[in-house]
Amino acid sequence: MMEALDMRDDAVDQSAIAAQNALQLIAFSIGEQTYGVEITTVREIRAWNGATPLPNTRDYVRGVINLRGTIVPIFDLRARFGDGKTTPTKNHVVVVMSVGNKWVGILVDAVSDILTVSRDDIHNVPEGNSIDTELLNGIVTHEGRMVGLIDLLAVVSSARADA
Amino acid sequence: MTGLRILTVDDSRTILAMLHHTLSNAGFEVFQAEDGRQGLEVLRTQKVDVVITDINMPIMDGIEFIKAVRASGEFQSLPVIILTTETSQDKRDQGKAAGGTGWIVKPFDPEKLISVIHRVVH
Amino acid sequence: MSDLDEFKVTYFDECSELLGELEEIFAVIELGDRDSARINAAFRAVHSIKGGAGAFGFSALVEFAHGYETLMDQVRDGRVSMSDDVVTLCIRANDLLADFVGAARSDAPLAAEHGLAEKLQMAALAEGQAIDGELDDFDFDFTPIAVDLGKDEAETKIEVHTDQFADAPSTDLDGQWEISFRPHAALYARANDPLLLFRELAALGHMSVQAQMLDLPPLADFEPFGVYCLWTISLVSPDLTEAMIREVFEFVEGDCDISVVRLGEQTGTGENDVTVQVAISATDVLDPNINDFLMLSDDEIGAMIEFGEPDDLREAPLVGQETVGASIPQEAIAAGPEAGIPEPTSAKPIVELADEGDRRAVGVQSIRVDLEKVDRVVNMVGELVITQSMLTQQMDETLRTQYTELVRGLEVLAQTTRGLQDSVMAIRAQPVKSVFSRMPRLVRELGLKTGKTIKLEMVGEATEIDKTVIEQLSDPLTHMIRNSADHGIESGAVRLAAGKPEAGTIRLGAEQAGGNILITIEDDGAGINRERVLQVARSRGVVAPDADPTDEQIDQLIFAPGFSTAEAVSDISGRGVGMDVVLSNIRKIGGSVNVRSRPGRGTRMTLRLPLTLAVLDVMLVQVGQSRYVVPLSSIVETIQCSRAAFSRVPSGGQVLHVRGEYVQVIDLAERFELDGARDAESRFLVLCEAEGSHKIALIVDDIMGQQQVVIKSLEENFERVEGIAGGTILGDGNVALIVDVQGLKASDPHRTAA
Repeated sequence: MMEALDMRDDAVDQSAIAAQNALQLIAFSIGEQTYGVEITTVREIRAWNGATPLPNTRDYVRGVINLRGTIVPIFDLRARFGDGKTTPTKNHVVVVMSVGNKWVGILVDAVSDILTVSRDDIHNVPEGNSIDTELLNGIVTHEGRMVGLIDLLAVVSSARADA
Repeated sequence: MTGLRILTVDDSRTILAMLHHTLSNAGFEVFQAEDGRQGLEVLRTQKVDVVITDINMPIMDGIEFIKAVRASGEFQSLPVIILTTETSQDKRDQGKAAGGTGWIVKPFDPEKLISVIHRVVH
Repeated sequence: MSDLDEFKVTYFDECSELLGELEEIFAVIELGDRDSARINAAFRAVHSIKGGAGAFGFSALVEFAHGYETLMDQVRDGRVSMSDDVVTLCIRANDLLADFVGAARSDAPLAAEHGLAEKLQMAALAEGQAIDGELDDFDFDFTPIAVDLGKDEAETKIEVHTDQFADAPSTDLDGQWEISFRPHAALYARANDPLLLFRELAALGHMSVQAQMLDLPPLADFEPFGVYCLWTISLVSPDLTEAMIREVFEFVEGDCDISVVRLGEQTGTGENDVTVQVAISATDVLDPNINDFLMLSDDEIGAMIEFGEPDDLREAPLVGQETVGASIPQEAIAAGPEAGIPEPTSAKPIVELADEGDRRAVGVQSIRVDLEKVDRVVNMVGELVITQSMLTQQMDETLRTQYTELVRGLEVLAQTTRGLQDSVMAIRAQPVKSVFSRMPRLVRELGLKTGKTIKLEMVGEATEIDKTVIEQLSDPLTHMIRNSADHGIESGAVRLAAGKPEAGTIRLGAEQAGGNILITIEDDGAGINRERVLQVARSRGVVAPDADPTDEQIDQLIFAPGFSTAEAVSDISGRGVGMDVVLSNIRKIGGSVNVRSRPGRGTRMTLRLPLTLAVLDVMLVQVGQSRYVVPLSSIVETIQCSRAAFSRVPSGGQVLHVRGEYVQVIDLAERFELDGARDAESRFLVLCEAEGSHKIALIVDDIMGQQQVVIKSLEENFERVEGIAGGTILGDGNVALIVDVQGLKASDPHRTAA
């Protein structure tokens, strides 16, 4: 066991370390803002096609959709950030992701890019806006743009109206 | 030796499953029956090289089953291994008297099972 | 999952079945049936549980099961009689056995004293008969050939051999064994074969075999399966022990004369001699009349075998009436029957065995499939049903006239899909027997506890119902039967005074009626005391003071939550505690309960259950822009709002006055905060039965029809949502939510419609 580990350590070269440290993000926009989630969590990107509203839930829960026979909740990211409910059109996009063992969709304005960033470049979210610190894991700058890294668990937690 | 076709007769699915596992891993083809009557049905339609049978079974128990096997001219020389437990020597003797070729004691050791089969089959 | 774990799953599955079987068997035995087949079946069940437990090393379980098995073994032999005490002990043992199985399953050992008293009781019962048992053992016809025979005996027998083998060639007698072996006809009759024994012996050391023809009868008297031959085998190996040799002959003990002699120590004092001569007839073995020898070397064993076959012995006289000498030439064997050596019947060429392909077992009439796998199929079929109805909905009139072939295809698809759905549901179905079988026991216990004589009759046990429904059925049934026994059936004296038979009867029945299963629990007791029920209901505000409910409505009140306290109902000679719990349990599985009582004559409760849980019959309703579904099993009736009698209550809420009851009104649009044009007059009320017999009226915008839907979980990807029991996917692919009628009732009562 030890031997195997040692060998692996020896075999890792610089570029591999760099690759290990790299993070691929799906970037999407809400208004002027760009956000990103780790690409490995994304299961599907689909155009907005309505959702069945869920009663007794927070306003950022847009409802549920049928994703090949399973019911998946959709979260309105704009509303989650406290900027009011999105008025979705057919150009709006739902990004379906897995969070833990659940699948959830988030409603965003558009998917913009796939970005590769280094973990070393991730900064802490500045104190101040409590919603930002609550919902973001960090901030990374990519080609002059600031990309907020979404904390999915935080986004989907306590969605019940009474919570 | 591999390729032997073995009929296993036991009303316990656990035992059947274990027999199946052991025997198929050893390269044998396994047939299953849950009582003596089913066992005879299998024998009617399948060519089998060895039979492994439990004694205590519903509908037709192992003793009756072995007797029936022996009574038919066709299966006079078909080896029949009796599955017994440590504590049922009398059953084993009855099984043997009925025409059982050999026996193995449950819970069986897989190696022992294979060696018993080898002991009664060409 | 490891192999062993998989076997364990099978084993515990099997244990559950066997324990159920035991329960069932003893329910009948208890009624006085002492049929030996039943007792045998009970023995087998215990035996099987023990057998598997041994395989997994569940020693506590093995130990307990062993004691129980021993007792049952003696009972079935008639050595212990199945007295009432023994029956009671066995019934107790069944419970304990279940405990031990449970402990093995959860790997949580029971306390050492668990079941100890019963174990001792069983042992005492069995031991009381021990002497008989031993005597019986001696009845068996077995030859006392034992490897561990006493030394004294060994010494006396040695004498027989000493002379005979004194002249044996002995260059190096160390590790040289002489075995003489004469099979009886029985050996062949049990499909044993000297060849195999020799093969095994040959593996132990260097072997040579001599076959000796015994006196052969005249050909006319020749028995095809007779034995006219004995073999003397010499085996040389330094490490050989007698036990090793004996083991080879393990299976043919009693079916042959055999002696095992270690050479080289024969002439000694016998002190060190471990040889045991147990041959039944040593003189036969050493018959001086033996005149012919067939000498075989190791290499020639193959040839010898043919000769050893009983079949072949038929031919032997022809060859060797005078001289059988010389080994059989290989060509003769190769030539087969033509050469006068028939092909042995039991030694089929291996090639022939191998090329039979892989035909599967035919004796198996059922297969065991993981429930999860079945559910996956159920789910997919559900999807198929939806897709199919979606396609059908897409067909408008234009398309219909244009593509007649397509329409026909869709119709066939619809039919096939429906059939597929039914078939898949049938896979999950199980006879209700598995629940019913627990009830006789319960009734017996209740009888003992209450001092009443109660008979239980059961019909329709073979009726099949979804496995999940069955699992949910046990508690409500137990509860209802307990209530019948406690409160329904009167004491013997009261019954006799009322001109009824002293023994009360509870009848448990199951039948299929359309897409439902009806379970009835009927007693011939006193019936529900309606006056008292109504009185309590009024005092508890369950019924409006001025309301005048019908008898049926009063009967139904026993399911109301207000009745669930013992004080309130202890004097009602109808039902007792917790019937509201029964109702909510039944509701949970999409069922309903109906009660009918006739004063002095008895009470009948009918459970209406869905055949399956996966598919729900629903009413599709429109609320605002959304569609919701309400389980049909909850719906009492639908009323147009324009025809409904609403009243205001002081809190400002609205109630519906219907059939003498005031019913809470919930406007779904309001409760669910949905917008929509609300023309009050055109809306509908859906009257539902919630918890207990408590009703609520839901206001919906429109009723769109009934259909079957496949239930989908919201919690799988989200969380519980208040007022919503789950979701389903409609024909158009959109999600509709299932209204949780129970949940709505449970939520804040101040939010009733204004």
